[in-house]
Amino acid sequence: FNQRVHAAATVEEKLRLYGKLQRPKYTVYPQTFALNADRWYRSFTKTVFVPGMPPRSAAAKPPVAAAGTTPEAARGPEPGAEAPGAAEAPEVAKTVEPAAGAAPYLDMGELRSLACDALLQESFYQKKKRPFLYRDQDHTPGPFLTQLVSTLAALLSGRNPLLAASSLDLNPEVNFYWHHGEETVVHGHRKGRVDPVRFQIDDNPHLQIRVPKQLPEVVPLESDLGEVPVIDHKPSKLPLFKKQYENKVFIGSKVADPCCYGHTQFHLLPDKLKRERFIKERLEDQIEVVYRSNGIASLFAWTAAQAMYQGFWSEADVTRPFVSQAVVTDGKYFAFFCYQLNTLALNAETIKNNPRKNICWGTDSKPLYDIVEDGNVKGFNDDVLLQLVRFLLNRPKEL
Amino acid sequence: LFPGVRQAQWLTKTKLVEGLPPAVQGILDSPAHGLQELEERAKHAVSHARLWDTAEVAPRREQYCPVLFENLIHICRLMSGRYPSLSKRMLARDCRIAATWERESILLQVRGLSGILMNSMTPIPPVASKEEILATKEHVLETFYPIAPTIDLQEVNVYKELNDTGQCFGDGYPYSHPHTLFFLESANVRTNRFRPEQLRAKMLMFAFGNALAKAKELHGNDPKVLEQPVVVQSIGTDGQLFQFMVFQLNTTDLVSNDGIKNLVWIDSDQNLYEKAQCVPEVKKGVVTKPAGISGFQPDTFKKFLALYLHGTV
Repeated sequence: FNQRVHAAATVEEKLRLYGKLQRPKYTVYPQTFALNADRWYRSFTKTVFVPGMPPRSAAAKPPVAAAGTTPEAARGPEPGAEAPGAAEAPEVAKTVEPAAGAAPYLDMGELRSLACDALLQESFYQKKKRPFLYRDQDHTPGPFLTQLVSTLAALLSGRNPLLAASSLDLNPEVNFYWHHGEETVVHGHRKGRVDPVRFQIDDNPHLQIRVPKQLPEVVPLESDLGEVPVIDHKPSKLPLFKKQYENKVFIGSKVADPCCYGHTQFHLLPDKLKRERFIKERLEDQIEVVYRSNGIASLFAWTAAQAMYQGFWSEADVTRPFVSQAVVTDGKYFAFFCYQLNTLALNAETIKNNPRKNICWGTDSKPLYDIVEDGNVKGFNDDVLLQLVRFLLNRPKEL
Repeated sequence: LFPGVRQAQWLTKTKLVEGLPPAVQGILDSPAHGLQELEERAKHAVSHARLWDTAEVAPRREQYCPVLFENLIHICRLMSGRYPSLSKRMLARDCRIAATWERESILLQVRGLSGILMNSMTPIPPVASKEEILATKEHVLETFYPIAPTIDLQEVNVYKELNDTGQCFGDGYPYSHPHTLFFLESANVRTNRFRPEQLRAKMLMFAFGNALAKAKELHGNDPKVLEQPVVVQSIGTDGQLFQFMVFQLNTTDLVSNDGIKNLVWIDSDQNLYEKAQCVPEVKKGVVTKPAGISGFQPDTFKKFLALYLHGTV
């Protein structure tokens, strides 16, 4: 079997043979309410979690001019602060001043106004019907995120040529299938045989940006930044449930697409995972777990699928790290994640001599603003915006 | 509303001009905008929407029509790296429009979801010269005698005459000028989609409705000839065929049949590509049609982009 996959002529053929045999497998949901899901997910994907953001090279950090405009809701005539910058296009980003002269300074005011404009449009100006039951996230945060990212990315494309060649997907599908660990088949006609434990992630990010060139590696391929948690229980204790269906590997678009590397994903947390619910059940520490597990699982699936699109798989491990970023948000609180895939060799035989680990950097969730009131956004947090801009400006060194 | 374009013309007191107005044509012809390089990206956009977007073999129209639109808009939006004033635009989805007017003692109203609306902070300057506007005085509107022009229109008892730019946006909304309306006919079943003629009529009625509501907001409810005509554009597509329309509202005096008329420029039935082959067609072991997009027409995308850039560059 392995020979056949190695010898397959095209990537599509490899993927087809890789996922040909269908057996019951665990469906891993990136957005889950399971307690301490991020520890389990780290053990499934052999990921080390490093809090905080990865160190960036100095070149990538754009100098930020002292924001001239006052941090107010973006409404009203914006002062003509020409911001070169970062258009954080929050949905309502209203006044995005054209960056005149392409000064190397990012105009926070402009970006801020862009973000606030987007926010105000979706929450205040546009008259919408009442949100559907338990689907609050589609009413305001969803459109806000779409507007914000699209306008911001468009404005920043002047500074980041990778964005200018990017492809924006709305509501794409990302799937990945892999084996990890072993178990004995309990019942059925195959009882007693030793089988690999199969997992499948089916993810639906709200928005994703795909680019034709790969993001640079953050740390070298063989680095060891921590420990991967080892969990002795069966995955079904998480709870995870088994199902048998098509083994899909998909990054959001087929192999023929030139934009085959991932840049940034944006995830929207659904209403049933909102913070108030966790606080009500006295599980405040699980709030961050939700963001982390979403980041780890989604990014692992995306980077691993990208690697498979390049022809790597668990028997032919990656020769270069695959890096992607993600932003997980519920509309107000933003958490940022950066993932580096160093190894795909996760099944029982290949993991024995494999010292490499995947690495995920992540922050805690921080609010972008305090409240939207009377057409004003109060308590706007520039740092969150700045982090988002840095994410969007990330590009390979030669560009 | 299922009227044809001619009927819509009578209802909105509009004169039809074939092709796109000179201002838009100017954007098309000017090489400074770098429209050539975008051809490749536009072709990728079409391939992505029609071929690559799904893990199944071929995406359905309900999926590929909006995806194609989003891809094209993404390419247009990326131009704001070059023309930063383009970022003073905002897309609003699912907004409702309502406008009322009287035509020869018949009260007409346009209501409903007007698709996707792009608003801008600055209005589009008028595309017709003053002479052209005055010349419309001589133009005689086609009548449909003996068919009443309101045929196929729903007669409804309207208790409230509504006039609102989409009733959508509150006061003080900074992006207050409707720029372009986008209509996506993405129903999978052909009978649920509008035929091109009907789509053009729908585009005209909604562009008129938006322009009228904006004019009434700016200049008041009295019918008069507008000093500053209001221009609203409209693009409709079913994922392959595009209809482009630029509508200029010259007058809100719609009761009588004479006087200054409104103008509309229509460029209809522009194919973006001929065929999108998802799986290569093989006859007797020989590939007759390879997979991919065939017959790509870059001009259609250029017109899309030109309409997007219109008013800003």
